[in-house]
Amino acid sequence: MDALIVVFLTGIVTMFIALAKKPAGVLLTAMTGLIAALVVLIMQWYVPKSIVSYEGLEFDRIAVLYSILAVVLTLLILVGGYAQFRKEPEHTGEYMSLLIFSLVGAMCMFSFTDLFMFFIGLEILSIPIYVMAGTRKGDVLSVEAALKYFFTGSFATGIFLFGTAFLYGATGSFQLNEIQMAIADGSAQGTLLGVGLLIMMASFLFKVGAAPFHFWGPDVYSGSPSIVTGYMAAVVKLAGLFAFMKLFTFVFGEQGYTIWSGALFGLIILTMFVGNLSALAQVRFKRVIAYSSIANAGYALIAVLTQDIASLWNLWVYLLGYGLSIVALLVIAQWVNDDEDRIDAFKGIARRKPFVGVVMITALLSLAGVPPLAGFFGKFMVFSAAFDQYPVLIIIAVINSAIGIYYYLKLVVVALSEPDQEQVTLEPLSFLSIAVLVIAMAGILVGGLLTL
Amino acid sequence: MAFLLIPLMFVLLSLIAPKGTVKYVGIAGAVASLFLTIAQVVQFNPSSYHTILNPAYTMPFGLTFEMGFDGIGLLMVMLTNVIVPLILLSNFNKAESEDRLFNAMTLFMQFGLIGVFTAMDGIMFYIFWELTLIPIFVIAYVYGSGERKKTLMKFFIYTFVGSLAMLLSLIAIGAYAEDFSYVNLLAVQLESAKAYWIMGGFFLAFAIKIPLFPFHTWQPDTYSTAPTAGTMLLSALMLKMALYGMIRWMIPLAPEALSDFKYIIIVLGLIGIIYAAIIAIKQQDIKRLFAFASISHVGLIAAGIVLFDKVTLSAVFIQILNHSFVAIGLFLAAGILEHRMKTRMLPELGGIAQVAPRFAFWFAVICFASVSVPFTSGFIGEFLLLKGLYIDNWIIGSLAGTTLVFGAVYTLRAYQLSMFGHKDNLQFEDLTWNEWITFFVLALLTLTIGIYPELVTNFIDPSLDKLYLQLQSAKTILP
Repeated sequence: MDALIVVFLTGIVTMFIALAKKPAGVLLTAMTGLIAALVVLIMQWYVPKSIVSYEGLEFDRIAVLYSILAVVLTLLILVGGYAQFRKEPEHTGEYMSLLIFSLVGAMCMFSFTDLFMFFIGLEILSIPIYVMAGTRKGDVLSVEAALKYFFTGSFATGIFLFGTAFLYGATGSFQLNEIQMAIADGSAQGTLLGVGLLIMMASFLFKVGAAPFHFWGPDVYSGSPSIVTGYMAAVVKLAGLFAFMKLFTFVFGEQGYTIWSGALFGLIILTMFVGNLSALAQVRFKRVIAYSSIANAGYALIAVLTQDIASLWNLWVYLLGYGLSIVALLVIAQWVNDDEDRIDAFKGIARRKPFVGVVMITALLSLAGVPPLAGFFGKFMVFSAAFDQYPVLIIIAVINSAIGIYYYLKLVVVALSEPDQEQVTLEPLSFLSIAVLVIAMAGILVGGLLTL
Repeated sequence: MAFLLIPLMFVLLSLIAPKGTVKYVGIAGAVASLFLTIAQVVQFNPSSYHTILNPAYTMPFGLTFEMGFDGIGLLMVMLTNVIVPLILLSNFNKAESEDRLFNAMTLFMQFGLIGVFTAMDGIMFYIFWELTLIPIFVIAYVYGSGERKKTLMKFFIYTFVGSLAMLLSLIAIGAYAEDFSYVNLLAVQLESAKAYWIMGGFFLAFAIKIPLFPFHTWQPDTYSTAPTAGTMLLSALMLKMALYGMIRWMIPLAPEALSDFKYIIIVLGLIGIIYAAIIAIKQQDIKRLFAFASISHVGLIAAGIVLFDKVTLSAVFIQILNHSFVAIGLFLAAGILEHRMKTRMLPELGGIAQVAPRFAFWFAVICFASVSVPFTSGFIGEFLLLKGLYIDNWIIGSLAGTTLVFGAVYTLRAYQLSMFGHKDNLQFEDLTWNEWITFFVLALLTLTIGIYPELVTNFIDPSLDKLYLQLQSAKTILP
């Protein structure tokens, strides 16, 4: 809770500092605030406070764990995107504070104990991103992305509320523990509950970009500025997947599981195939990332499907590797070429800038699941936890990893190949971006071996 | 531990070394590893087990980090550490040896290979197994020639898919074990249907890497696009990982399914022996010829492994060593021809024996080792392997025996067309000192093992005995 307040205050202070139109000051404020929030969170991890429950929010250890990851990823994104934000000094503060406010929403989604609070968190998370998606105002694609994201997003929110109404009708409460009890002791009404759960699941699948609710993904991801894409793919997905898991696997319990697990099983298979097969044919970098993130949502949903307390940790490790790789790739994408977004722009990047090449290849291989990178351990943990329950699903998931290796490797080959002669010269990478890439790469290299 | 740390340390050193000294740093690293291994081999008691890493800590998902070696493992480490300096030395006069990336990647490959041969935990084995794929891909892509993009992506995806099948098998067997340490995986009792699938996953990974007959299509293209050093790494060391993996992991982990797979593998190996040999006879490109020859030779080794009796397994190890030496020698010769004549096509070569007698002599020695002339290690290995196959089934044994005839045909044909004949005004620089040393060491090793094979068999027999004992106590079924 303290951390949430710190992040919120950081957002407000950043917004006012922005009036001075000094980008460096804005960055410093935002960084200080987020690092302070990180410190608070880590302290809370080691010394759990005696009173942790507030009305609607409860920062238990799991919430703290996921908040740490979200704050770290946001920090990396803000610092990595600074080079871009600085180009519009009058708006730097707005962009940064919007992203920080969105982080507040994500943290609410980690700690809710009440569907009201969850809904508020979801909106706080989403609304700043609707704005951020359209920040390249001169670009038609960016405007399209913002509008598309806004419309489909509000629609999904509406569907979520609709599902909540059914759930309320079935169980008579918005409190998670009361819902849990009502479902467990069988006093919930069966039909209403079933309809409510499935409708809610649809809205969650929309938020995490799983098929068949994924159509907004590629357009929005490729239209938005790279940094915002990174935020959507890393943090928004993190919040969505965690809330999904918390509600569905743990709150709705055994009885709910029989209702939704079959549908999710099929949709995971669909999501993985749609993501991986569509990514094969893409010629734009951010669209590859978009489809790859759809496929990754499929793998991560396997952790949601696994009824096991350890899957909370497995999902965390999975999203750590995934998030760091995505952030590194999009910071590089923003630096290489943010407007045209062709894969060709990356040609020979490893020969022109060996450091960037190494980071890019590491991140891609981590997404592909090559050991000993963090992405491999995440996948391994999620898959092996689910193997007992769903061996067929895991075999299909592994087949999908095999498909995935093709388009990741294609990007690796592009990075390794001979550069073209007429290629534009790249401006030198700023110190802050280098720092972000170094941290992300260190995380990818050792992140899989973290244990608690 | 130093086994793994020295290559890794020299990877970093060769990345920061000043431009002119990189190749010396690279070879110094390889030689340092070699001396360390020799010191280890001299004082090693073949029946003991040496722990490299055992932190007595298990990750929540079962990774134990356990590493160590017995006689088999040490033999393979020794092989790696003999071959890598030879590869670096033989490329000493090539442009790529001046390159930081090349030296770093070769040493990184060495690190990965040693990891594969000393991993005593399923996940560690998988990690190192995949780790070797990245340096070889970079070496082949950056320094290779021709249509690399398609070929190497095919290679990477092919082997990666195989590895994923192995990962599935590991996950499946890990579901029944306490953790992934070798001893605990060995203790798992499987129903025959499950054992069948688990062995199938391992088999796919190893069959692609070896490569066995229907999975071999990546190999000739990859071998001929990769630079000489890359081809050497692929044929002399990387495919040995798969042969070692069959002996150490595939069969001991799921011996219940061995009887189902035995004749599948033997027949696939047999097809490979004959089919690849016939293609090799027709080849005009000398590097592709040796690539197909390699498929033919390893087919025999793979067929020998699944017999899984002690004499044949010792022969398998001798043949593994022999194949490594021969492959290095043959691909070095092919590289020399390509580098100096600017072509690899047999009809355009010829007459070289007249102007480069030293090269002709040492190339001939390697060719004789390849066709298993007595007193070379190839003779011991192939003879014992064929004997094992013949005892098992005389038809298969006789068919496999054709490898001796075919081998002589394609090797001697390649030698004759490239070296003999007459060409006017042929400019051909004879062996340089580094190439000469490489050939000399290879010939010495081949002859030593050919004359005194107990050197190897005494070293690995206790480990093989122990593997049998472990299997006997852990599992009920044993061939």
